[in-house]
Amino acid sequence: MATIDQTSKLGKVFWPVLAWVVALVFFFPIFWMVFTSFKTDADAVKPEFLFKFTPTLENYTNMTENYDYWRFAINSVITSTFATLFALFVGVPAAYAMAFNPSRHTKDILVWMLSTKMLPAAAVLYPMTFLTKNFLQIFDTHFLIILVLCLINLPIVIWMLFTYFKEIPKEIIEAGKMDGVSTWGEIKDILIPLAWGGVASTALLTFIFCWNEAYWTVRLTTTDAATLSKLIEGNRAPEGLFFGRLSAVSTAAVGPIVVLGWFCQKQLVRGLTFGAVK
Amino acid sequence: MANRTIPRLLQTPSVVLLLLWMLVPLGMTLYFSFIRYVLNSLRRPEWTTPSFSNWRGFGNYEYVLNAKDFGLAMTNSIFIVASILVFTVLLGLALAMLVNRSFPGRGIVRVLLISPFFVMPAVNAVLWINMILDPVLGLNGLAVQGINEIINNLRGFPVLGSFFSLWPEFEPISFRATQTSAYAVIMMVTWQWTPFAVLIFMTSLQSEDESQKEAAILDGANAWSRFRNLTVPHLARPIAIVVMIQSIFHLSLYAEIEIVSRGNGNKNLPYLIGEFTSNNIGAASATGIFAVILANIVAIFLLRMVGKNLMD
Repeated sequence: MATIDQTSKLGKVFWPVLAWVVALVFFFPIFWMVFTSFKTDADAVKPEFLFKFTPTLENYTNMTENYDYWRFAINSVITSTFATLFALFVGVPAAYAMAFNPSRHTKDILVWMLSTKMLPAAAVLYPMTFLTKNFLQIFDTHFLIILVLCLINLPIVIWMLFTYFKEIPKEIIEAGKMDGVSTWGEIKDILIPLAWGGVASTALLTFIFCWNEAYWTVRLTTTDAATLSKLIEGNRAPEGLFFGRLSAVSTAAVGPIVVLGWFCQKQLVRGLTFGAVK
Repeated sequence: MANRTIPRLLQTPSVVLLLLWMLVPLGMTLYFSFIRYVLNSLRRPEWTTPSFSNWRGFGNYEYVLNAKDFGLAMTNSIFIVASILVFTVLLGLALAMLVNRSFPGRGIVRVLLISPFFVMPAVNAVLWINMILDPVLGLNGLAVQGINEIINNLRGFPVLGSFFSLWPEFEPISFRATQTSAYAVIMMVTWQWTPFAVLIFMTSLQSEDESQKEAAILDGANAWSRFRNLTVPHLARPIAIVVMIQSIFHLSLYAEIEIVSRGNGNKNLPYLIGEFTSNNIGAASATGIFAVILANIVAIFLLRMVGKNLMD
């Protein structure tokens, strides 16, 4: 089919250049953070060293002494990983049942699950503190953060898996049933291998959301289970003299996730729009 | 379908977990909002333990409604969410159209554009308020300083100099004042969420019917009327979804407010709840119920708008 090209010659240069400029503007703050992380704290605030300076790695090598970075990073890794696994463990069977054996109430249940995301976290701040601190005594434990991260992401996990599972022909699953495969066998041997891409991208996206969560991880921890969100928030003060080291620790906190995010752009659309935009 | 037991069993853990997660804390908030409950009180120690004997009826709600910060927090919550929505949707539409054509390096442009979305909110706020917006040490301060220097040098010129000597020195805007810090929050969240809007609009644009567009070109429709009559209706649903999801997230905006505005008087509802929680739990809970009501009004309105579309 012949495409009709109405773009003028000027437009052929202008629009791509504009797109590049806008993209660079959007990326600039991240670039600036990474760039500043290679300056010493003293250089970082001097206009004469804005672009010309001697790069140094000392902000990264001193990250452990300055901020105890690794302790927070390990907490982030532990809580995000286990929350993701737990959410999948609970979510896969639910999504499987909803996709292949829908009942009259399935739609209502899905919308209700979505509506739990609309409950403002702050509204239940004190009850959560009270329950976990005085009653269950699990305040500031990995277990609590894993549980909370799992619960706030569970609706998205189920929705996302549901839209992926829906694409699998029902006959394949039913054929398994005819052959007398157990439910667990159906999920493990038929469903998951078929929807492997969908499950993996759900996991990736959930991990990113867990990593970036900044309300409960800050309010329900003090030291033991404190994640990177808590570390950065604790250093929010206008630390004019510490731009270098602050940039380094920030870069270390977001770097892996930004790179991970590049690989799941497409899945992000599906995950966040609950399958309504594909 | 023969057996309903197994599918039901498979859903039970998820439903029970979410039900507990929703009902238990919310029920407690509701209860606390009707009693006198403070964490420290020398005068009335009996108020420091929750009990029905401290029943206050709608007293906490009255107290909150009369608190001078409540109006500010409420309007600020709405102002911040509405501004972010307007900026992200407009910018998102423009950028999606811009990137939705093939040109050299399009993949890299997409990667650069989407990156801000994955930056954790705490880093976003710390980065913007310190390194970019700080009136002295940040790029904001440095840029204004640089402009002032250029003007200063121009004053030396023979004829033009007299013109420039009339110019006042520029003052960098401080984004830590009550009102401007709300602008700072809007700016940084817009930066973070525009990529999200772009991504969704772009995905949707790619499914647009090209042959329809070409027919329109052959019929002599210009670019604007093609955008107006074909693209905008096609994007109606993604726009509604972007608005819905962002409303959910930004009504509970917290980290950015906490980092940018701590102690300078700017606040939204979640921040006000945090402040009350340091002592007056009754008031915090009543504010929480107001936040739930606000979120529900928005949610019902939005779900009406997009809810039907979600299931097809």
